[in-house]
Amino acid sequence: MGKKITIDPITRIEGHLKIEVEIDKGKVTNAWSSGTMARGFEALLTGKDPRDASFVTSRFCGVCYSVHQVCSARALDAAFGAKVPWGGTLIRNLVMGAEFIYDHPLHFYQLSALDYIDIMAIANYKGKDKDLLAVKDKIIGLVKSKDTFPLTPRYEPDDFCVKDPEIVITAVKHYIDALKMHAKARNMGAIWGGRTPHYQNIVVGGVTSYPDINQVARFRTMLDEQAKFINEVYIPDVLAFGTGPLWKLAEMGVGGGHYNYLSYGAFEKDSDGKDLVFPAGVIVGLNPANIKVDPFDPKKITESVKHAWYKENKPVHPYDGEQIFNLDKKDAYSFVKAPRYDGKAMEVGPLARMIIAKNPDLIGLVKKGAKPGAVARHAARAIETRLIVDACYKWLDDLQTAMTKPGFKIHDTEHWDPPESGMGVGFFEPPRGALGHWIKIKNKKIENYQAVVPSTWNASPRCENGTRGQYEEALIGAPVPDPENPINVVRIIRSFDPCLACAIHIIDPKTNEIRKFIVE
Amino acid sequence: MSQLTLHAPSYKTGGETISPQKVVILGVGNILLSDEGIGVHVVNELSRLDFPPEVSIVEGGTDGFRLLNIITEADRLIVIDAVKGGGIPGSIYRFDINDVQSCPSGFKTSVHQIGILEVINLSGLFGKTPQTTVIGIEPKSLKMGMELSPEIKTKIPRIIELIQYELKTSE
Repeated sequence: MGKKITIDPITRIEGHLKIEVEIDKGKVTNAWSSGTMARGFEALLTGKDPRDASFVTSRFCGVCYSVHQVCSARALDAAFGAKVPWGGTLIRNLVMGAEFIYDHPLHFYQLSALDYIDIMAIANYKGKDKDLLAVKDKIIGLVKSKDTFPLTPRYEPDDFCVKDPEIVITAVKHYIDALKMHAKARNMGAIWGGRTPHYQNIVVGGVTSYPDINQVARFRTMLDEQAKFINEVYIPDVLAFGTGPLWKLAEMGVGGGHYNYLSYGAFEKDSDGKDLVFPAGVIVGLNPANIKVDPFDPKKITESVKHAWYKENKPVHPYDGEQIFNLDKKDAYSFVKAPRYDGKAMEVGPLARMIIAKNPDLIGLVKKGAKPGAVARHAARAIETRLIVDACYKWLDDLQTAMTKPGFKIHDTEHWDPPESGMGVGFFEPPRGALGHWIKIKNKKIENYQAVVPSTWNASPRCENGTRGQYEEALIGAPVPDPENPINVVRIIRSFDPCLACAIHIIDPKTNEIRKFIVE
Repeated sequence: MSQLTLHAPSYKTGGETISPQKVVILGVGNILLSDEGIGVHVVNELSRLDFPPEVSIVEGGTDGFRLLNIITEADRLIVIDAVKGGGIPGSIYRFDINDVQSCPSGFKTSVHQIGILEVINLSGLFGKTPQTTVIGIEPKSLKMGMELSPEIKTKIPRIIELIQYELKTSE
């Protein structure tokens, strides 16, 4: 029996995720992924006007609000029988495209990079570059003031960590530059959404406001600036790290998992909607030499609650899902349900999408010897950011052409009123992976609503037959030479960009000295 | 509720024009978790009032990172949020960001995971950090639901008065 260690919380972003691993002879031999907060916002929607769903679901999460909004609107489009005009789709795509532009670089620099560099190496920087010296001063200032957040707390650097002062200091400079770019990028979605966060423009049938040429121009200017950073800093950094200091981790394929991948497909390239930037598909047991992609069949999705704190139930399709807690259940260890496709645990997200798309850049890296795993996940994220940037330019051009033509439409107003009864599903591929919203309508009100979010797929516990979820499986075999310093465990989990706020939610109150500031 | 009138510090005594300092009143919270959304409910009320152009009223949801743009554009930031301070429900707290920074878990005082204070810290890495005051309200219920508890809801007018007082003393 190996030594068991627990890491809680593991995320640098919203949500409570606890990972337990068993370690034997310096390797992970077993793993458990637990969402430690209760979820179930969907229950709030029952009995409401279906059109409220896209606004209420945008409050599921402060991070991924707009993707819930759009996915919800797509479920409503299906249930109402609305056909979103191409103009409406273009604007939705631009809003969602901007989401990738903020999210992916943020994940690399702010949420991951510090697991791969020895930040303290900065002190040894001997170069003369003015910008870099300013960074050095800043970091040393933080250390001296004993306030090194956000650079700490951290795990001790291991053999894979980059310790070359030149590289580390450049990475930290880019960390700071990425924050600046992020702050600017936040305004891109607001051009169409009217505000940020929590956009106002996405509703069943399309979007609510006609674009004007100034909006197109403003978006283009901001896109130019972001594209420059993405193409000249972010992507080269990911490739330099992945094929340089981290190549060994990539070759080892640390964090591989089940090698099952799922993409619902998203981002229509043209008005007939058949050609997608992220194609839909399913891969079971990847063979990199001969990638076989099966078509995606929505009927094959079920959720198991055998190991989750919910009332005992057989695996059911999300249309029939429910949220009744049972905290005393034997064998349960998570508030996250276990979604399965055809009974199998799946990985969703950038790596799944790029493999299913047979993206030549990613396949090229795999052919060179990078096994799909933690490092490949970062590469896939960078590669698809470029695809989205290119697509945004195309959508912007298309919109500019379409909006000047007579009969330009952004909304299917004929289908604004809810049907007497109906059902529908909305699928989307947000930055973190496959997202689905399912709605049932009765007497023009919501009868049942279920969301299966990307982190539910990846962070799921075991299912009926005991098969591990993707995080759990990805950890098996990970090298942990020192149980006090499980840095590879956090690298693997963070490579998925976990965001559990919507997968689960409860509050963990902390009492402290705030009382002395009481006003009344 | 009386209408708020304010005069921005647009002129120095010598008569030369300076640009007024940009004030952001930022309400954060999750409106799906009853009192957790108090900050959002307060700024929704504020948005019905008149403010001078240099004052922005922003409803910020729950994720700190998403607010970097708003924070870095502000000279003066007033954050309205649910705060677990251990007082009785409805207690109102007021503190400057500097007062809590030395708290080991400073940013955990807010019930959001990546607290606003954490992100204000981050903004200091690449630019200015706005002078920040937090007006916090002790929640009664954090259960799932879109309504505020009655004893929290009745505090909204008082919270608005306190915000108005902050704006006056900021001049």
